[in-house]
Amino acid sequence: MSRLDRQSFLGADSDRTLNELTVGYVGLGGGGSHVAQQAAHLGIGGHVLVDGDIVEDTNLNRLVSGTAKDAKDKRLKVDVAARTIKAVNPSARVKMCPVPWQQALEELKGCDVIIGGLDSVVAKDDLDRFCRRHLIPYIDMGMDVHDTGGAYLIAGQVVLSSPGCPCLRCFGVVTEDGLAQEAKRYGAAGSRPQVVWPNGNKNTVRSSPRVAMLGDRPCPHTSALETGDVRFDIRGDSKRKPSSPVAADGAAAQGATRRLLRKLGIFLRPAPET
Amino acid sequence: MKFTFKATPALFARARQDLARKHPFAHERVGFVFAGCARADDDLIVITARDYMPVDDEDYIRNPNVGAMIGSGAMRKGLQRAYATRSALFHIHTHGGRGTPEFSSVDLKDAQNFVPSFFNVVPAMPHGLIVLSNDSARGRVWGAPKKKPVYIHRFVSVGSPLVRYGEVA
Repeated sequence: MSRLDRQSFLGADSDRTLNELTVGYVGLGGGGSHVAQQAAHLGIGGHVLVDGDIVEDTNLNRLVSGTAKDAKDKRLKVDVAARTIKAVNPSARVKMCPVPWQQALEELKGCDVIIGGLDSVVAKDDLDRFCRRHLIPYIDMGMDVHDTGGAYLIAGQVVLSSPGCPCLRCFGVVTEDGLAQEAKRYGAAGSRPQVVWPNGNKNTVRSSPRVAMLGDRPCPHTSALETGDVRFDIRGDSKRKPSSPVAADGAAAQGATRRLLRKLGIFLRPAPET
Repeated sequence: MKFTFKATPALFARARQDLARKHPFAHERVGFVFAGCARADDDLIVITARDYMPVDDEDYIRNPNVGAMIGSGAMRKGLQRAYATRSALFHIHTHGGRGTPEFSSVDLKDAQNFVPSFFNVVPAMPHGLIVLSNDSARGRVWGAPKKKPVYIHRFVSVGSPLVRYGEVA
């Protein structure tokens, strides 16, 4: 009996299909480390790990496979995730990018799916736009704890933003109000309340009434006519790296512009589809 | 260098639906797909479909020797739009049926005549030829007008479920 025999109900060819897939993880904290581990168990073969952070003591209540020694040694979170994946599947194809995601664009463009465990609403918005520009399904995760007056409410979301379908703005994950009030984003339970037990529930069991409500309606916030890199040129050297990874990608460049405008107090509304 | 071609299921469906329509005299229909491109790592270029454009009925020319022949008007419309949107341009038609389709010798010979001319209009993008079946596809892509075309390595229908097909070893 092989490692994946007990999930043969997924299909006769599921082992090969899953092994050929490459998943990108942007953010390998409480959410991303959980998903990376589960994806390795599932049999996903390719993993692009993007996170520039190192393990700290305060991560140990949520970082799957993170140890006190990792924190002491200041190990990178991508190292911990790679170790977890390789421990489950030694033949997994793992690329580690210990940098902000805007500096790992070429690695991410080759992914079949990208999973975001980002804290910032602005970053979620930018990554969603990057994924739609490159026709990559994006799965966004988030969790928060709110004081409801004497009791705490744990709430979270897992949202699939698929090209041609509703985006994070359609689902209400990214709102102008949320962008403007990002400084207050972590509610009453203090900074980064994601700990391992609610994250585990969030990442394994989901219901999504809003997803059902929106269905596959087209997204009014992004245009299907704006795919690819705006400055792509086939005549260039295939090995050439862009001088500025942020500027080389349309979505990331637009994100940088929006961030600058936000600092100046200017908020842009996406143009309506014509 | 490998090329992956991605499109939404809606775009693939729109193309198949249009190409399956009967024409007053042509045996088959053709169309154009416009696409963006991005360079990924591992020497991969990802072609991302933007839109499908049918060829108008009046732009077909009677020719009993081939399935469909289109005139310069159709080509001009496709090229104009590719130029205006700085898009990669793919000529597309369908052979119907199931499984990975193959180009006919006429398809390949004709493409060798017209695809290199796409570079006169949009030299920065790759261009090519796609043939669909009802559940798969095959593609040839030119990276430069005088270079030998290569097969599109893989097609991906980016939806739920995400489907990959037409894989070339």
